[in-house]
Amino acid sequence: MAVVDVHRFSESITCHAWSPDYSMVALCPNNNEVHIYKSSQDQWERLHVLQKHDQIVSGIDWSSKSNKIVTVSHDRNSYVWSLEGGEWVPTLVILRLNRAALCVQWSPNENKFAVGSGAKTVCICYYEQENNWWVSKLIRKRHESSVTSVAWHPNNILLATTSTDGKCRVFSTFIKGVDTKDSKAGSPAETKFGEQIIQLDLSYSWAFGVKWSPSGNTLAYVGHSSMIYFVDDVGPSPLAQSVAFRDLPLRDVLFISEKMVIGVGYDSNPMVFAADDTGIWSFIRYIGEKKAESSGSSYSSQFSEAFGKFYGSQSKSATANDASESRGGVHDNCINFIVSLSKAGSPKVMRFSTSGLDGKIAIWDLENMQEELGHQF
Amino acid sequence: MADFVEADNAEAIIARIETKSRKIESLLKQYKHVEALKTALEGSPPKTRDERCKSANWIVVHRAIMAIKDIDGLLNALDAEYYDILMKYLYRGLSTGDRPTCDQCLKIHEKLTERAGLGCILRCLTDTVNTV
Repeated sequence: MAVVDVHRFSESITCHAWSPDYSMVALCPNNNEVHIYKSSQDQWERLHVLQKHDQIVSGIDWSSKSNKIVTVSHDRNSYVWSLEGGEWVPTLVILRLNRAALCVQWSPNENKFAVGSGAKTVCICYYEQENNWWVSKLIRKRHESSVTSVAWHPNNILLATTSTDGKCRVFSTFIKGVDTKDSKAGSPAETKFGEQIIQLDLSYSWAFGVKWSPSGNTLAYVGHSSMIYFVDDVGPSPLAQSVAFRDLPLRDVLFISEKMVIGVGYDSNPMVFAADDTGIWSFIRYIGEKKAESSGSSYSSQFSEAFGKFYGSQSKSATANDASESRGGVHDNCINFIVSLSKAGSPKVMRFSTSGLDGKIAIWDLENMQEELGHQF
Repeated sequence: MADFVEADNAEAIIARIETKSRKIESLLKQYKHVEALKTALEGSPPKTRDERCKSANWIVVHRAIMAIKDIDGLLNALDAEYYDILMKYLYRGLSTGDRPTCDQCLKIHEKLTERAGLGCILRCLTDTVNTV
């Protein structure tokens, strides 16, 4: 098993983020606070409680170079917290939203952050030196519904978003004065703020969890219909693939190498997807199991009962799905969030953490799984 | 994606479905149930909004489903790409409330779920665009 540490922090965790040295974790225990825990000798002690939001904190991100925490909440606000003299001091960022903020991510250079909201807009916030505060620019066009997830391309300009209208879009977030125009970078479209580069129509249902591969060449996102979508060569002629899989939908994904993706979701067990040498993506395995598929015994006892009622007198064979409760056994409930524990920009992710509705954070290490995962890793 | 295949107008599709239905009748007479169901599921017009086309196709699929006796054999022979479409028709069958149809659909549903997993059911429920 690849799990290194599991700890239950609260009833339920909405989101989490790690400090630059990965010794502290900031999480939201499904309320309006942010708790920061430090791990010391197998114990987790709570160091700080950040209380400024009025409603549930839906997104947290901790920048690794500038050591700032950005939090966004359903109260339509965002705060950037800096550590001053041992205390976290908040700075309000006026997002100009009239609906909840749903997700946030620092850009790779940490001079901007993107917020997805229920107002069908994405806010790109940057720091204005002269006025000493954070300004937000809105991408109002295009989205037909809530923006569930945002992801920055390594070039600090392109942003991918997923929305409950089922589409994944890539925008340029070039801001004069903050970004430098790279003469060898792409098209003129890339230098206009809010310009949509591409729109991907692969999903018929809500889309979540978009991420770029380490090189920025491939995009992966999930749909609520138990499908995961991979797009290679994002640009004028993308190569899109839809992979349908057996089990419950995913909520978030993480690229652990250029050709391997881990998906987490309602099955409470991370799934591994990989691209073979011809570039075709497919489901490989659950992270905790052996490669051999176990047919039939993959439902817990609750499902057996439900199926029993559904089929009732129909099935003469007893619904012999055995009551094996643990499918991997680490998380008991939906996993919402997967965060890399390796340095940003590194081509391979060796460790990652997952948090879920069961209130646990699990840390996974892939050090010993290199052979099992194959050469794509 | 939003532009539905209206190039074939509804009548043409219904005509196609009628030809299909005759073909299926003959296959059923020869006890080739799997072939019959495959033919019925193929060319399902999911991208038309026209209710008549969908109903016409449903009648054909229903005929093929009711004739099935050997469910395991059927699922063994059916390719994975048909699972999602079959599941949609099973739910349509279950929604009719008609006892023999529901009995048959439930039987197939159980086996199909074992094979295709919960993801198949999810895809049926969430896909409000390509309905049958």
